[in-house]
Amino acid sequence: MPLLVKDYSWTQTPSSICLTIPLKRANPRKVDVFATDEYLKVHFPPFLLEVFFSEAIDDDTSVAKIGNGVAVLTLRKKEDRMWEQLTIDDADKEILKSIRERAVLKAQEKSAADSKTRAEKKQEENKYTLEKMMKIEEGQRNNIEKLKADERERATAELEAWKLQQKREAEKEEARKNRQTQEQKIQLSYTSQLSPTKNTGTAKYQRKDCDKKNLAPLPAPRAPCTIKIQFTPRVFPTALRESRVPEEEEWLKKQADARRQTSTDVSALNDLKEDERNPDWLKEKGNKLFVTGNYLAAVNAYNLAIQLNRKIPALYLNRAACHIKLKNLHKAIEDSSQALDLLLPAVADNADARMKAYVRRGTAFCELELYAEGLQDYDAALKIDPYNQTVLSDAEKIRQFIQGSMPDHLAPEKNM
Amino acid sequence: MSTPSEKPQIISHIHKSLNYTVFDSKWIPCSAKFVCMGNFARGTGVMQIYEVERGEVHLVKEIEKAKPIKCGTFGATSLQQRHIATGDFDGNLHIWNLEVPDVPVYSVKAHKEIVNCIDGVGGLGIGDGAPEIVTGSRDGTVKVWDPRQKDLPVANMEPVEGEARRDCWTVAFGHAFNDQDRCVCAGYDNGDIKLFDLRNMSLRWEKNIKNGVCCVEFDRKDISMNKLVATSLEGNFHVFDMRTQHPTKGFASVSEKAHKSTVWQVRHLPQNRDVFMTTVHLFFLYGCRCETDGDVDMGVAGTLNLLQNITLSTQPIASLDWSPDKQGLCVCSAFDQAVRVLIVTKLNRV
Repeated sequence: MPLLVKDYSWTQTPSSICLTIPLKRANPRKVDVFATDEYLKVHFPPFLLEVFFSEAIDDDTSVAKIGNGVAVLTLRKKEDRMWEQLTIDDADKEILKSIRERAVLKAQEKSAADSKTRAEKKQEENKYTLEKMMKIEEGQRNNIEKLKADERERATAELEAWKLQQKREAEKEEARKNRQTQEQKIQLSYTSQLSPTKNTGTAKYQRKDCDKKNLAPLPAPRAPCTIKIQFTPRVFPTALRESRVPEEEEWLKKQADARRQTSTDVSALNDLKEDERNPDWLKEKGNKLFVTGNYLAAVNAYNLAIQLNRKIPALYLNRAACHIKLKNLHKAIEDSSQALDLLLPAVADNADARMKAYVRRGTAFCELELYAEGLQDYDAALKIDPYNQTVLSDAEKIRQFIQGSMPDHLAPEKNM
Repeated sequence: MSTPSEKPQIISHIHKSLNYTVFDSKWIPCSAKFVCMGNFARGTGVMQIYEVERGEVHLVKEIEKAKPIKCGTFGATSLQQRHIATGDFDGNLHIWNLEVPDVPVYSVKAHKEIVNCIDGVGGLGIGDGAPEIVTGSRDGTVKVWDPRQKDLPVANMEPVEGEARRDCWTVAFGHAFNDQDRCVCAGYDNGDIKLFDLRNMSLRWEKNIKNGVCCVEFDRKDISMNKLVATSLEGNFHVFDMRTQHPTKGFASVSEKAHKSTVWQVRHLPQNRDVFMTTVHLFFLYGCRCETDGDVDMGVAGTLNLLQNITLSTQPIASLDWSPDKQGLCVCSAFDQAVRVLIVTKLNRV
């Protein structure tokens, strides 16, 4: 419960009231003065002074001086009149309470209005500074533009001047050339009247130096020659970009892995070496064996590779070639057919492989003397590549053979 | 060179919108005209000659041809004749007299596929020796032609039979300091740069720069090889010091990743061989030294200094050509069907 202060004193002039409150050893800093136009509260714990003015004061212009053990408040009156008394008459609690509440409300409104005006003022200032900045930058930009435009003007003028000079020089050249040809004509006619002396060119060509080169003979064209080059190998047809290299490597790795792993459920292969599980490696081995003539071993290699991965058409193709060499013609036909099945859909990429498959199957058919089927296959091969000479000549031979005009021979040449 | 007013400025002087895709633009030597080459939407090739006059360009002549034209050069003609050699989409090499463009002065079916790039040497009063034209194509071959010899290339750099072919994207002549010596440098899409010596008809040096090579250029064609700039995809370019070749390490180089994407062209300033412009930043190479590495010389490429840059268009600028007559004037063409004439100022203070 605060202690009410009663020992304050007050004096008045027509326009103001002077209120003196002894501070009773309170710290001046801890004195809180709250005033509206009809209520005043001075609070220095534990003391409290409340004054309900009988008439209105102007709290905006009132001043409080706190120090030296007293607080002196100079309150300006709203109306210049002598007051009968400082406080209002009756002290009905309700009235007092309502006055207090009103005072608090008023104080709040005032502070809200204050802060609003302050914010508006700040915004005004910001806008102003912004506009100023923009104007300055505009000015700078215009300067630069002007500089550029000046440069352009100057460059254009120079260009024009240079062009004019070129034209004039060209005209001078023309005039001089004409004069020289005239002179030469005169001189020629003159000298032809005299003894034929060598007409050493008195016409000194004072043209640009490059013309002298015209007089010097140009070297003969070089002898044609070819230089063979090799490129850094690259699998993809697109250009090499550093940022794509990791993606490309990953793709290649995935392709290689996919080809390895399609049938790893063959338990009998557990004792094979790592190399021998790789169908690509096996294919290479088979190719080498084929080239050296060891067809049976090649077939074995291809068999193993096919066990590992049934979907590689090249394996069937190569095995077909081996079978033809070994005269296992039915097997050859089977393998070529399987290769062709795997090579669907028919695109440009596997045209090569498909042609090989057709040719091999055709060869096998012809060896079996089923020439009609053989011819069909050769025709299919020709459809893919109509310009292949060997295939063309073989197809011709078969056709003639069928028509019975060629009695002997000929298994067509084996072009693998 | 530190204050901004001292740096060279790149100013766009003239901008002309065209109604066709323009692939290449070249100044006609000793004149204020340039040629733009490209193709119309209807699939025919076109060459247009423009003249720069008082802040504007106006069309002097338009020549339409059957096949789209990809590239051209004036490098192999004399200053009086000023014939342009062009490569087109069909693999043909033609040399045209622009005054009488109906029939080519020289024509040969150079390649089986599109001629991607062309360069000429021996003309224009620069360099000694016979005029020669080199073309590079998508079929992986680089061929050198002499306009006096019909149908047969003077040199043919082709892949070994059976090898996969890589596109050749750029070619450049260099090292043509006397009658006999010539070098051709070719860049391919798999990052290979190969240097061929035409005197010995051999491969002199090759290197792979890990990104497809878009453009190579020597700093001067008519001197002993000094510097070679090679630009590539991914915004990289390399500058090689070609004066000293180490037996194993090749040529020394400095490289920089200066752009966010493909550097399409590089061109050296004809008047100052240490300044070059990549599209479209302007670079200055300062000082190439040679160091001795033990008892074998090894070159040291110097340092690069970016002088200025400018963004002209959202589309790549595919071709760039400095005017040999006026320092700082250049014409460039971009894939936004526009050709621009630029002025670069303060180059004499570089």
